[in-house]
Amino acid sequence: MEALLFILLCLTPRIKNMTKTEQQVFIIDDDEAVRDSMSMLLDTVDLSHLCFASAVEFLEFYDGTQHGCLVLDIRMPGMSGLELQERLKEREIILPIIFITGHGDIPMAVEAMRKGALDFMRKPIREQDLLDRIQDAFKQETGIRKETVKRKKITNLHASLTLREKEIFKLVASGKANKVIGFELDISERTVEVHRAQVMKKLDAQTLAELVKIKIEMEK
Amino acid sequence: MLQINIKPYSIISLEPPPYRLALLVAILSGCFATFIIFPVETLWPLIAVYDLSTVKRLGKLLIVLLVILAVYRLFMEKYRVRSLLFNTERLETLLKNLPGMAYRCFNSKNWPMDFVSEGCYALCGYKRSEIENQHVLWGMFTHQDDIEAVEKSVLDAVDKGEAFEVEYRIIARGGEEKWVWERGRAVGRMDDEIILEGLITDITDRKLAEQSLMQAEAYSKAVVDTAVEAVVSIDEEGHIETINLAAENMFEYTPEMILGENIRCLISPDYLEEYDQYRSHFQEDHLAHRVGGGCEVMGIRQNGSTFPMHFVVSEILNQPDRKYVGLIRDLSVQREAEREVREQRDQLAHVDRLNTLGEMASAIAHEINQPLTAISMYSQTGLRLLNQKPPQNERCLDVLYKLSIQAHRAGAIIEHSQRFSRQNESHREEVDCNVLLREVHKLAEVEARIRDIVIILQLAGLLPMVVCDPVQIQQVVLNLLRNGMESMKEAGYKRGNRIVVQTHRSDIGVKISVIDSGTGITADVAEQLYRPFSTTKDTGTGIGLSISRTIIRAHGAQLKFLNNENGGVTFYFTLPYTTYKKHD
Repeated sequence: MEALLFILLCLTPRIKNMTKTEQQVFIIDDDEAVRDSMSMLLDTVDLSHLCFASAVEFLEFYDGTQHGCLVLDIRMPGMSGLELQERLKEREIILPIIFITGHGDIPMAVEAMRKGALDFMRKPIREQDLLDRIQDAFKQETGIRKETVKRKKITNLHASLTLREKEIFKLVASGKANKVIGFELDISERTVEVHRAQVMKKLDAQTLAELVKIKIEMEK
Repeated sequence: MLQINIKPYSIISLEPPPYRLALLVAILSGCFATFIIFPVETLWPLIAVYDLSTVKRLGKLLIVLLVILAVYRLFMEKYRVRSLLFNTERLETLLKNLPGMAYRCFNSKNWPMDFVSEGCYALCGYKRSEIENQHVLWGMFTHQDDIEAVEKSVLDAVDKGEAFEVEYRIIARGGEEKWVWERGRAVGRMDDEIILEGLITDITDRKLAEQSLMQAEAYSKAVVDTAVEAVVSIDEEGHIETINLAAENMFEYTPEMILGENIRCLISPDYLEEYDQYRSHFQEDHLAHRVGGGCEVMGIRQNGSTFPMHFVVSEILNQPDRKYVGLIRDLSVQREAEREVREQRDQLAHVDRLNTLGEMASAIAHEINQPLTAISMYSQTGLRLLNQKPPQNERCLDVLYKLSIQAHRAGAIIEHSQRFSRQNESHREEVDCNVLLREVHKLAEVEARIRDIVIILQLAGLLPMVVCDPVQIQQVVLNLLRNGMESMKEAGYKRGNRIVVQTHRSDIGVKISVIDSGTGITADVAEQLYRPFSTTKDTGTGIGLSISRTIIRAHGAQLKFLNNENGGVTFYFTLPYTTYKKHD
């Protein structure tokens, strides 16, 4: 018990420091007591959170702008946790999900992990693990968001290329020389050079290596 | 039955009129003869010699007297013959009308007959003349087995000078065997031989009736003596008149100890009231022997030990006083067997409950995990609140309060399943079905939640109490609910995820229905629905429905089902208001 207290004492300031984001924990569980106790626990560590009694309730509320993570009960009447995961995927909402599973829900948990859940925790939950996982989820979400922004930017840039330029970009990034490209597309080497310069300018790439990186990024 | 049919003959008094008549005739004829046969003139010489007038007078008187005497005697003789003839004729008629044969015979070998009446023909098939001429002898008809006994009785009677009375068989002319009764006595001697006179009559019918009566009696006695049931005959007051062997053994009394006692001493004092009720019943309507009659009471043996018995009384007819015969069956063995069956049923029910709980273990664990999760997090919260500076005692109190609620919640789930799994003697108590079903609901909900099924309770208000074994009835309902949920899962919840438990108040009892929206029951499945160890479930043991039916039967009801119009099936049963049995 003393050890636990020590850990908690050590952890508390760290958590406090890290919660200065607008990230929220969305607790979705049909059991009121579980919701309430989790809510109180998160209160003690100043984690901003919202509680929902069902998946539907959450879907109605969430508009895609809020950041954070989900602590989601895998079994619920009406829409189950797994179903919610599917729906979110359909709506391209990339909130990390920590599943809460009961006794004997391992197959479901495995399924959830396969579909990209961050983790699953069995009831009764170790509080510290939960708090740690929430932090992990927040980190992951931040990462994903950054990544998404980056990819969105690249995609937008790529979209600004003309059809011919896209062709040239593809061939250049795959390491082909201007001469070969000119031959393949039945255009002069000079024309290829002009297009290439245009592509690098539009995609904000200084070197061939950067161009290749952009391509790899896009292909992810 | 010997009955001499005497016709009312006008008995002519023979004495006075003929004598008077004969006398009158004799006097008249005497006077007439005197004047006709002996004229006075022919006697004159005589009269001349003596004092004629005196002689004449005396002679006339004498002659008159003689003639009177002669005529009288003649007349009387003639009359005597006539009246003798008349008497004989009357005797003949009398004898002829006798149901049998009057005889006179010699008491020698085979009794040669001197005289027999006309009845002989009807009796033995031989004519009177044949017998009287001694062409046939009576002893030759007599049955060879009986002849010695007859001879002996006759001789004894003759020696003592008494009348003899014997019953024996004769072989009549056609070979027919007849029973006869004979009564006679010695009347005198002739030529050193004793003469017997008597009457022999046919008693075959009576004898046959007697025999069949004796046979019937012997049969009855054999039945009564070998009967497993105790047979006790009593008078109107209930005093014991006879008991059979089974009764002696059953109550451990000897006849000497119990005869004359009141039958109430065979019934345990606690049950006398029931017996009295029954008694007043059978004395009123006389129909106590109707099927299903009788009462069940505790019997008491001589040593004071008691045993359950079935007691039925019926009136013995054709008796001068009212008499009754009571049949008593010892129900100990039956009760013991019933108890064993009941115990086995309870054990099986218990096994089924444990099995059910085993199957539900995962769901129950899941259910318990919820409050445990909450408890765990509340306690962490509490710790953190207390460790804050300053400690937030106020909030911590709230947390502790909530924590305690959750601990109770977990405890309640465990208690429910524990109550359900407890091995208890089947006991009946008065329960409100609604309360009972709400409890089942809590237990079944555990699984329903996991399956995402909603159990809906539609309970009728103000139900009368019924007597039942609450745990077993809950077991049945839980069983039906779980089967229903399984079936709904099979149906892929196409007809919704509602399963309804209803109570209804009916005339005979409380009807409990479980209405699912599953696959329904096909004819194939219906056929072996209640067969033990037949199951459509992958993990089922197949005893659930079978034990459910047994339980419901033991409550005096029937478990039935009906496919719903819009899919699914309804199982229902009606717990009667009076399932309470004193001895069950």
